[in-house]
Amino acid sequence: MNSPQNYTNMSKAFSDLQLLEFLIFDTHRSEELFKEEYYEHLDKEQALAMIASAHALAERDMFPYYQEMDGNPAKYDGNGKVMTHPQLKVIVQNAAEQGWIGASASFEHGGMQIPESVNNAAQHIFQAANNGVQGYLGLSAGAARLITNFGTMEQVERYVKPIFEGQWQGTMALTEPQAGSSLADIKTSATPTDQDYYKIKGQKIFISAGQHEACDNFVHLTLARIEGAPAGVRGISLFIIPKYRVKDDGDLEYNDVFCAGEYEKMGQKGYATTHLVFGDDDNCRGYLVGEANKGLTYMFQLMNEARIGVGQTAASVALAAYKAALQYVQERSQGRHPSEKDPEKDPVLLIEHADVQRMLLTQKAIAEGALSLACECNKRYDLEHVLSGKEKDDNHLLLELLTPVVKAYASEEASRSASLAIQVLGGYGYTLDFPVQQHYRDIKIMAIYEGTTGIQSMDLLGRKVVINNGRALQLLTKEISKSIAQANEYDGLKPYAGQLEEALNGFIAISQHLFKYAQNNELERYLSDANVYMEMAGHMIVGWQWLKIGTTASQLIKDNKHNYTKGFLEGKIHTMKFYYKYELPKTKVCIEVLKEDSWLTDLRDYNWF
Amino acid sequence: MKYLVCVNKTPDTTAKISFKNDGKEFDDSGVQYIMNPYDEWYALVRALELKEANGGEVVLINVGGPENDTVIRKGLAIGGDKAVRINGSGDSFYVASQIANYAKDNNFDIIFAGKESIDYNGSEVPAMVAELLDLPFISYGIKLEMEGETATVTRDVEGGVEIAEVNTPFVISAAKGMAEQRIPNMRGIMMAKKKPLDVVEPTSVEARVEISSFELPPPKAEVKLVDPENMDELVRLLHEEAKVI
Repeated sequence: MNSPQNYTNMSKAFSDLQLLEFLIFDTHRSEELFKEEYYEHLDKEQALAMIASAHALAERDMFPYYQEMDGNPAKYDGNGKVMTHPQLKVIVQNAAEQGWIGASASFEHGGMQIPESVNNAAQHIFQAANNGVQGYLGLSAGAARLITNFGTMEQVERYVKPIFEGQWQGTMALTEPQAGSSLADIKTSATPTDQDYYKIKGQKIFISAGQHEACDNFVHLTLARIEGAPAGVRGISLFIIPKYRVKDDGDLEYNDVFCAGEYEKMGQKGYATTHLVFGDDDNCRGYLVGEANKGLTYMFQLMNEARIGVGQTAASVALAAYKAALQYVQERSQGRHPSEKDPEKDPVLLIEHADVQRMLLTQKAIAEGALSLACECNKRYDLEHVLSGKEKDDNHLLLELLTPVVKAYASEEASRSASLAIQVLGGYGYTLDFPVQQHYRDIKIMAIYEGTTGIQSMDLLGRKVVINNGRALQLLTKEISKSIAQANEYDGLKPYAGQLEEALNGFIAISQHLFKYAQNNELERYLSDANVYMEMAGHMIVGWQWLKIGTTASQLIKDNKHNYTKGFLEGKIHTMKFYYKYELPKTKVCIEVLKEDSWLTDLRDYNWF
Repeated sequence: MKYLVCVNKTPDTTAKISFKNDGKEFDDSGVQYIMNPYDEWYALVRALELKEANGGEVVLINVGGPENDTVIRKGLAIGGDKAVRINGSGDSFYVASQIANYAKDNNFDIIFAGKESIDYNGSEVPAMVAELLDLPFISYGIKLEMEGETATVTRDVEGGVEIAEVNTPFVISAAKGMAEQRIPNMRGIMMAKKKPLDVVEPTSVEARVEISSFELPPPKAEVKLVDPENMDELVRLLHEEAKVI
């Protein structure tokens, strides 16, 4: 077994099992899922045991290597190989043995059929412990899910089992050098043959986990154009392209998938990010998944899950940074209270300073609030397996609306949160001796992965709030109103319920205000401040999460039937109050900006920059 | 072979410890419980390894109320075949008596326990069980190898190790080194629910120890940094404040 280097300043905690139990089972009531046929093989005790196992795994195999993998990044050898930290293989194998790659897949497909609410609690722990290595696991799970959902039974049998066993790595290969985020412009080609495969030619960049030392084979779920397919997004198909294809006798042979490089990055350095070349020797075979030209629709199913996952990862890393900062301020004494005039008096712990508390509470409000929103999404994802008819459609629509919000809010705000963690540690926070700078560097990519914040914002304003005549927006309003009514049953929460109602009304009114641009066909103008609209929506929706948390904590205190400490629950209510004082009012500024008719981002004279 | 593994429930290592009832009772509000790591990581896992190598059965035993079932199920998830919970609680003698009473009719070849529980650190139960059953006892084993019915046990002693041989049946307490932690996997957790967990009513045993009170250790003093150039100050602090020289 590898032994980690001794990072003496490593924080001790990176996640919080009590917080997970509170969010999943008390706030979001995921225990209800176990009454449904699809999940009835599980109960809460088993779910908590699984989450505790994940924590033990992360504590033993992942967390001790977090800083070490940063210092020993993945490296390209110049000849198609990417050398990764030897612990990666241990992690992938042990996580697979535990069942965490195929956790949420159905029994039929060789999984454990556990809800995402539970699976993603485990993934959260991995993300907080060592977010790069969780990426390897998450990608494999996502690729396998695409195959189980849209592939043939033969494809499932061939590719999914070794992925779940951690022997093969699944990836998503979308981005191309000339296209970037614009998938409509991809050029990788697929030429039909008279066999069961297409000949593939093209290049993909920024392919996470595209090549490394921990797995024997790679299954790239790749977007490509079949010759003669329509231009744009309607002509994109999805292919399985293994690095080594399986011959009829079961042996593997090279499939002409070459790794041409590995990107050196500012963060997630242990997570290989590769440049792949398909078919340079005209010998790359791709196997169509589902129907031709429907690739982007299929991929977007995975993409939506991945967006929730990226948002959750951002929240998880921010939580780990918060835990590290919290530990530091309880060990380090510095300065005295402003009223203390005696310089001979001992310095006080950092945590005693009001400004330090402000920074800590901001981090807690962002990280736990965003994590709660991810839990909300996970629960709604699980409900898709158990609901039917209109209820299912409504649940899906609301999840569609929340997806870009959790992605954008969590990734942008987690960056601010981790920045505050560095600030709390002062000069030491900026040094490589402490992990918070690594958290900060790792988080930045979350606002770029799986669609940048700009794309998420346009998705929210341009599509999600207007689809089905604004049905998703109505559903969101209904859910938030329900939470407001529940909070109003507690006198102490009434002011906050009132504040959220005001923010919700402001959100609806400004949405109506903006819709007029869309109705007038001024689409550029309509979407020009989508980012500000997203900022407002994010703060309001996470405000909703905090009201739910505050209500849950109030109810548990009132009923006095729980096993949380008083401080844990009171801390939740206090953080809600903090959020409502310092964060929720930001919606008002956004509304002011959005109300203003002048348009300052349509410059034609670039000399003004 | 039949292996009996004594598993205890202890507060999580990160739990904040406080007392109630005039310091006579541990206050467990808000405390998360785990299986005693010495029982889980070393005693249970070594028993499972022996079973996997030579066949047999691993039975877990715990003395306590139904609130202990979660911890017991973890042992089943790791690989125990079945479990018994003696539905009572008391001091070390009470616990040892219940275990011995159950064990005496069930012909176990080896009775395992952790070297101590991480809450009260008494290190008493396995020795008492051995005495009550009139069996050999080896404490603080860091290695256990079986050859037929003979066990070779390595123990840490001051400055080295001691190697002892013993024939089954015997009682052993396991220390770090005996085995490596096993984390229960999902399949094991799901299977654990289907494995038998029998609840047995306790025999009548009088507790022999009464707790007068618990006290928390004094809070840790703050760290004082002394300039390496100023050894006189270090000596003064050690002499006058720490009073260790």
